[in-house]
Amino acid sequence: MHEADIHDLSDDADYAASQQQGSRSISRCSSDKRSEPSGAEVVFLKDNVAIHPTQYASERIRGRLRLIKQGACLFMTWIPYKEIGSGGGAFGHSDARLSDKDRNLYSIRAVPVTDIRSIRRHNPTLGWQYVIVVLSSGLAFPPLYFYNGGVREFLATLKQHAVLVRSADDANLFLLNDFQDPLQRSLSSLELPRAVSVASTSTSESSSSSSVSSERPDDGRSYSEYQKHRQKSNDPARDLSIQVLEKFSLVTKFARETTSHIFREIHSDNLNTNDRKNQAPIVSNSNNDVDNSGLESASTESFVAADPIEFDKMTLVWGKPRQPPLGTEEWVTFLDAEGRILDSKDLRKRIFYGGVEHQLRKEIWKILLGYHDYDSTYAEREYLSSMKKVEYKALKRQWKSISVAQAKKFTKFRERKALIDKDVVRTDRSVTFYDGDDNPNVMLLRDVLLTYSFYNFDLGYCQGMSDLLSPILFVMEDESEAFWCFVALMERLGPNFNRDQSGMHSQLFALSMLVELLDKPLHNYFKQKDCLNYFFCFRWVLIQFKREFHYEQILRMWEVVWTHYLSEHLHLYACVAILKKHRKKIMGEEMDFDTLLKFINDLSGHIDLDATLRDAEALCVCAGENGAALIPPGTPPSLPLESNLLYSQQDEL
Amino acid sequence: MSYAYLFKYIIIGDTGVGKSCLLLQFTDKRFQPVHDLTIGVEFGARMITIDNKPIKLQIWDTAGQESFRSITRSYYRGAAGALLVYDITRRETFNHLASWLEDARQHANANMTIMLIGNKCDLAHRRAVSTEEGEQFAKENGLIFMEASAKTAQNVEEAFISTAATIYKKIQDGVFDVSNESYGIKVGYGGIPGPSGGRDGSTSQAGGCCS
Repeated sequence: MHEADIHDLSDDADYAASQQQGSRSISRCSSDKRSEPSGAEVVFLKDNVAIHPTQYASERIRGRLRLIKQGACLFMTWIPYKEIGSGGGAFGHSDARLSDKDRNLYSIRAVPVTDIRSIRRHNPTLGWQYVIVVLSSGLAFPPLYFYNGGVREFLATLKQHAVLVRSADDANLFLLNDFQDPLQRSLSSLELPRAVSVASTSTSESSSSSSVSSERPDDGRSYSEYQKHRQKSNDPARDLSIQVLEKFSLVTKFARETTSHIFREIHSDNLNTNDRKNQAPIVSNSNNDVDNSGLESASTESFVAADPIEFDKMTLVWGKPRQPPLGTEEWVTFLDAEGRILDSKDLRKRIFYGGVEHQLRKEIWKILLGYHDYDSTYAEREYLSSMKKVEYKALKRQWKSISVAQAKKFTKFRERKALIDKDVVRTDRSVTFYDGDDNPNVMLLRDVLLTYSFYNFDLGYCQGMSDLLSPILFVMEDESEAFWCFVALMERLGPNFNRDQSGMHSQLFALSMLVELLDKPLHNYFKQKDCLNYFFCFRWVLIQFKREFHYEQILRMWEVVWTHYLSEHLHLYACVAILKKHRKKIMGEEMDFDTLLKFINDLSGHIDLDATLRDAEALCVCAGENGAALIPPGTPPSLPLESNLLYSQQDEL
Repeated sequence: MSYAYLFKYIIIGDTGVGKSCLLLQFTDKRFQPVHDLTIGVEFGARMITIDNKPIKLQIWDTAGQESFRSITRSYYRGAAGALLVYDITRRETFNHLASWLEDARQHANANMTIMLIGNKCDLAHRRAVSTEEGEQFAKENGLIFMEASAKTAQNVEEAFISTAATIYKKIQDGVFDVSNESYGIKVGYGGIPGPSGGRDGSTSQAGGCCS
């Protein structure tokens, strides 16, 4: 260990205790480890277990791996060490290193071992033994490198406390919680189609030839048998680990890039608070034993709803904390002197991770929605708005000028107006902006929708549109601006309301493809239950989760989704994320279509937005190009391939 | 909550006829004119007692707009009862009944009990469909018929309960194979209830609210 690598573990009493013999803390610590019947017990502890976020040796993160037993539950944690000098940047190399904040992103906080599906051991010739832990959700943690050995001990300890069996197909693959359930046994949720460009075969070859010398499987199989297994797993299309690694390298690179950006912006005060908050539960474990509250606060980042246990089950693998929303000071740094956005991708990325503060929404939503161009100046935006105001008035006059006599002979208009009149008084009336009798904002909602139904007469009006318009009008506080933003949104979401439901069907189809890619067992389950039409996600998709979140949250969700930063179809990955979060319950309770529909409906108001966005992001990265390739071109909100085919419907209204 | 049977109901009809209000009046005994329009489907449930047996009604309240018909059709599967609702003050909602009925016949179980409801009967001064016309349509199509008001609660209780009573009678008559859930009936664990009825303590025709 180099001098520069000495860990400052002042915040880790457990570690400090082991270093300072005879101190008061050691007695406390050792008594802890004697495990009171009701308390928690550290059953395995290994220092110098590292992850390698990048290929750079300087960015490797070392930490401590622990297995903690509490009652009947076993938890796995891995917490990075705190690096001296990384905070202040006083060291010459500090910019090449990961900051503590970056490092903490990789922390594994109290994952129940029951959530782990498998552990694969790797024994490379050169370098350290490492393991890859795959969760039952299908996601995997980064490889954990055991610098001081101990993989066998780790697995042996697991075996003492959990159901751990060696895979019949692969001596280095250990399955947990494998109760002979075919769904559980299959690792197929991670098996991307063969088309995946697998990491070079040389990687797998080197790891295979190495394995023999470094460690033989401990069940005393014959060498030739073992070789056979190794060869089998050499097949790149079969080698799960390589795929995991490949995806991982993508993610780490991406995570590194984004997080360093994230933390550049945040005040250090904020950081420390966040940092403490994230670390505290784990750190305090060693002080006060692993108590319930510690474990709970560590793993319960999500909202607790009907079934708190279920909600906690899925631990975020590459979950990065969301950023605070973009504020005014930072916003101006994205603009040149005349108001052009210097780097639209940079801005979209920033908004993707944190959204924007409310007072900026009026300005930024117009740009995100495409009503104003990224490279327009302040003056150009103002000019466009004034021109569009005139145009809006003209459009509105088209229906305003219809006389009573004319309306009598204009059934379509009468019916459309009646429908809109009926619906605007049933839209977000519990939101202050629209509440009370004779609220003028309700009338604005009506006018904009009716004007839109003339602007786009073929599409007309359909239920759900008022849900999409309501937040936009709330943010814009201006009739014309709200109208043009709505027009821009409908350029993309209009097909959701096609009479033949083609826009909805194409999205639900894409969703089914994504679930098949990202969670094959769940896909098979839906197939078996005749649920592949995904109608239970209909409302989610139709109005982009408008009914699933509180008003404030939907503003955030939409601006993140509208960035199209990682994908135009983040909302579909959000669907997958939520379904995956509840997969155990869905499959465990054998929900049929009816039950599933009700279950999904009842989630409304109980979905954790930040967790969903983080999971959606991870899944999107995980799926990569394969995911993107599964979504047919022109699937909303992608722009239609041929816009003239957009609204071919025989509107009866 | 234990029940002898669970019946799945579906409420259908044009948009704005008062489907959600009927449901709310039945489950919560209140009228809320200001509620969000239904996208897709919403659910309600209530326990009632028929022949001293606790019966749980699980009610699917569907979106009425034409564009959502293809989705709505997927909800018919396994419904034991349907409330087909029109608005007595809007003629067109009555005129569309035939197409709703066609959907129901095509996508639901043939033995599904259908109750036709002329809603908003408190607005008699704006009536556009006479009671006789409603009765006539029901008779021609073999439906049970009632005029009701979600606002005043008139006949709301009766509509839901007499539909249940009809389904219950069909079970007694052996029309349904209750072990086959595609009929929209589930036999509950409280299948052989004592004389005290359901756990919500109600022994009257209508039980308490249970959602």
